[in-house]
Amino acid sequence: MPIKSYLAHPHDNQKHVLIAALSALDHCEVIPAENKDILIVVTDTETKIEEDNLKEKMEALSSLKLLAMVSGFDTPKNK
Amino acid sequence: MKRLVVISLFTILFAAFIVVWNYSYQTGLEEAYVPIETQSHVDLIPSETGVFQRSEFALDYANMAVDESHERTLKTYYNNRAYHGAPPSIPHPVKDKRTMGGNVCLQCHQNGGFAAKFNAYAPVTPHPEKINCKQCHVEQNTQSLFRGSNFEKITVPKVGINNALPGSPPVIPHQIQLRENCLACHAGPSAPREIRVSHPERINCRQCHVPNNKVVTDIGIFKRNDND
Amino acid sequence: MYSSLSNRRDFIKKMAVLSAMTAAATMFPGILFAEEQEKNLPKGGNLDWKKAPCRFCGVGCGVLVGVENGKAIAVKGDPKSSVNKGLCCVKGYHSVMAMYGKDRLTKPLVKKNGAYVETSMEEALDLIASKMKETIKDHGKDAVSIYGSGQWTIPDGYVASKLFKGCIGTNNVEANARLCMATAVTGFLTSFGLDEPMGCYEDIDHADVFVLWGNNMAEMHPVLFSRLLDQRLKRGVKIIDFATRTTRTSMAADKSILFIPQTDLAVANAICYEIINKGWVNTAFVNKHCNFSKGLTNMGYGLEDNYKFSDKPEKIDFETYKKFLEDYTPEKVEKMSGVSAKDIKYMAAYYGDPNKKVMSFWCMGPNQHSRGTWMNNLIYNIHLLTGKISTPGNSPFSLTGQPSACGTVREVGTLTHKLPHGVVMNKEHREFAAKIWDVPVENIPSKPTYHTVEMFRALDRGDIKFMWIQVTNPMVTMPKLKRYRDGAKKEGRFIVVSDIYPTPTTDIADVILPSAMWIEREGMYGNSERRTQYFEQMIDPPGEAISDTWQLVEVAKRMGYEKQFYYKKETHIEEIYNEYRRHHEGKKHNMAPLEVLKTQPGAMWPYVDGKSTKWRFNSKYDPACTNGEDFHFYGKPDGKAIIWQRPYEPAAESPDSEYPYWLCTGRVVEHWHTGSMTRRIPVLHKAMPHGYVELNPGDAKRLQIRTGDKVKLTTRRGDIVLPASVNERGVPAPMQVFVPFFDENMLINDITLDSFCPISKEPDYKKCAVKVEKV
Repeated sequence: MPIKSYLAHPHDNQKHVLIAALSALDHCEVIPAENKDILIVVTDTETKIEEDNLKEKMEALSSLKLLAMVSGFDTPKNK
Repeated sequence: MKRLVVISLFTILFAAFIVVWNYSYQTGLEEAYVPIETQSHVDLIPSETGVFQRSEFALDYANMAVDESHERTLKTYYNNRAYHGAPPSIPHPVKDKRTMGGNVCLQCHQNGGFAAKFNAYAPVTPHPEKINCKQCHVEQNTQSLFRGSNFEKITVPKVGINNALPGSPPVIPHQIQLRENCLACHAGPSAPREIRVSHPERINCRQCHVPNNKVVTDIGIFKRNDND
Repeated sequence: MYSSLSNRRDFIKKMAVLSAMTAAATMFPGILFAEEQEKNLPKGGNLDWKKAPCRFCGVGCGVLVGVENGKAIAVKGDPKSSVNKGLCCVKGYHSVMAMYGKDRLTKPLVKKNGAYVETSMEEALDLIASKMKETIKDHGKDAVSIYGSGQWTIPDGYVASKLFKGCIGTNNVEANARLCMATAVTGFLTSFGLDEPMGCYEDIDHADVFVLWGNNMAEMHPVLFSRLLDQRLKRGVKIIDFATRTTRTSMAADKSILFIPQTDLAVANAICYEIINKGWVNTAFVNKHCNFSKGLTNMGYGLEDNYKFSDKPEKIDFETYKKFLEDYTPEKVEKMSGVSAKDIKYMAAYYGDPNKKVMSFWCMGPNQHSRGTWMNNLIYNIHLLTGKISTPGNSPFSLTGQPSACGTVREVGTLTHKLPHGVVMNKEHREFAAKIWDVPVENIPSKPTYHTVEMFRALDRGDIKFMWIQVTNPMVTMPKLKRYRDGAKKEGRFIVVSDIYPTPTTDIADVILPSAMWIEREGMYGNSERRTQYFEQMIDPPGEAISDTWQLVEVAKRMGYEKQFYYKKETHIEEIYNEYRRHHEGKKHNMAPLEVLKTQPGAMWPYVDGKSTKWRFNSKYDPACTNGEDFHFYGKPDGKAIIWQRPYEPAAESPDSEYPYWLCTGRVVEHWHTGSMTRRIPVLHKAMPHGYVELNPGDAKRLQIRTGDKVKLTTRRGDIVLPASVNERGVPAPMQVFVPFFDENMLINDITLDSFCPISKEPDYKKCAVKVEKV
């Protein structure tokens, strides 16, 4: 059950497009910065496969310039 | 010729030796000079220093997970003291009876951590520099009493009622002598759950939290004394 | 405040967010994630949260005030504010309680036969206007005066200046900021030709070393200090506390260095010597952007009435300056300052290291100093010699103590020599102001009259007959107070005091006007980093109280200046602000429009093309730079900043055999200024109920004084008895004592000395000689 956080850099003037696009995805939370063109994205998926699919979907977004993973956790199964 | 060279070499060496020896003897006769460092002595203010002690761990505290199955509560915290503000007793058996405490106690109580033997996190002492631990903290070797006691425990401060406005920072409802170090009791896994600070990374605690009992009697709200 | 992170998964998620935030913060210092930070704040039911700058100090924290049923009931830090990022101090969190003291003034009071009688506001305003007219007729324009403060909002100060300088025609306009910020102003003007810091608080996120010059930041500017501590946890920055007394700041700092009072002048010069001697001078910067000057020395201390001084600057060359510094080698300075040569070199090494960004902070230490302007110049010298200025993280930063000391007193110019733009001595500046004010230019006198200390001396002498005091408490804060209190009480003086509570100053009043404070009215403040912040009226003022602005407007109308005071009651703040902005048009000082201030937590002037200017004089950030170089100090005609040759001179009064101790005064974290507001906040009063005298433990032991014992302090001005404090909040060096000035029942200023810096006319509250006895 992986949880990962990323920093997402949008293309110029595409911040709002990217926020909208990412927010539309399931298992995916977006926290935009107030004063800089950067977003925090947190993914929270059930399985590794789901996680990979989600990442592919995100990377396919045209408004995204760069997606950098910051941290990843895997929670134990019993919780 | 060869011999002459050797002799003159030794003569020079001997002369040099005499000169050096004399010089060092003469300087040895001078009065010893010990550079006096005018120490810019900085006093330690107990009530102020404590605030910043352990602050080097503040970010670690902020990132520490909460281990709910081994938390202390405020109830157990108070139960271990004869009254509010009294030194806590030692609630576990002590192996080495003869020491005054010191390093034996500090092994666990200086920085805390999980003690598998007692299945608990060791509380951190706010005053690790006082190493005669058993001067104030004693074991409890029996639960029975010699005679009963009429001593009444004073009411202890409660949690959640110490702020003046909704959401404003609570005041410090206890005396801080020997407990100047806020983070020792209010942060980390051994902190009683009710009083564990949600923001240990903010280390200038008394920027927002001020004591409310500097004067023991209630002084009420400030009002002008017109006679002055 | 404990909330359990009940779900492990949620917790991990939070951790993931946190690490991403930390990563983002290292890439973009100063980045804000308001949404996420707001989530952690307590939700307050159906509270209406409205933004305002904090009422108290000059940091200018953004606060959100919770209003419910017409009452302010809670405060939280505004996470959107780049000043405090959601954090306040104990005063800020409880600030709204200052409006609800039981003895709040709600009706005008007029003194009749020695007793105060309630009257209506109309009647009181009529009386003030007629009294002013009468005084002007009988004794001339310069017999009326107004004394305001750095707590005046921008509109308050603006209408005061317009009424007195523009309409009545007297330069008798002063403010209590003369007692705290005047030196900072003259420091900036002499070194750069333009007032206020070139940098901003964001410098904190970039600097590697912080040097605090006589600045107990942990107590006086706690929110900014917390930003320093934050940076230390995250980036391992160094904090150096350079002071005369050991305080909470010393406890938190990486290094605490103590010096003998007044010798900071010598130490600063020694640092410059060391920088030059070790070859750390940024030669390219100095050659291109700096001049060297010297001024007059042996200036005196302003102790006598009608004391006058004006400096005569004289250009010198680098070699002369270098030669002058030879008197200030670290070894020589060690002997006079008590600071070891090693420590002087330690500080100099940080300033000199080209790879370290250094920020200097100071407030009342170098400002309330009989050679304060020099001290300010000397700190700038260090930054100019090393070229560490006007770039992110390299910043000499002069802090302020009042919410609008910068916004009102310095920018609006409510000082005797100032106009909103420029000075009264300059003909063009007078013409410019007269045009906007719609008054004949002859109205504005070209000569400054009295600075604060001299103004109260004039009141004592009888040269001034009428004084209107707004939002300040001079009968607690004036040095050598007894003279000025007795003077104000003399026959034939008429004193109006606008305030919210009875204070020792209302005690000397003939008319007391109840004022609306802070969010009971609309207004703007300007903080230390040139940030102008707006607040709306959130609640109704009590009784008949009205704002200081409207009090002045009403009196102006009654005096026949309807044409200049055309403002409508509903929109007057907006009208006044728009008129005021016209004074500052242009790239060097443009103020943000009101619409912008209403939507965001302030904007920093110069506000050009919709953007705040973070670093002035740096062409990369400041659109006013025009010389095509990296830096342009456009405040001076030739675009160059000045490095001043300023020597050490002793204080006005030093300890001797009769009065062997130094006396220093100051503040504590709980109370703000004279405590007339903070003492009425129960939480703060209980934490710090009364004044005290701090002694060094060694002195206390010798005198057999323990905490709580009564101690008598005697100076040449008088004596006072205070309880002792040993090893509590702070520890003065041996043979020094410290007394906070907030307690109106223990008026320490009765015995302080009214010596002042001859250039800025700001009194030195930090140094005089005192005798200490156990009672």
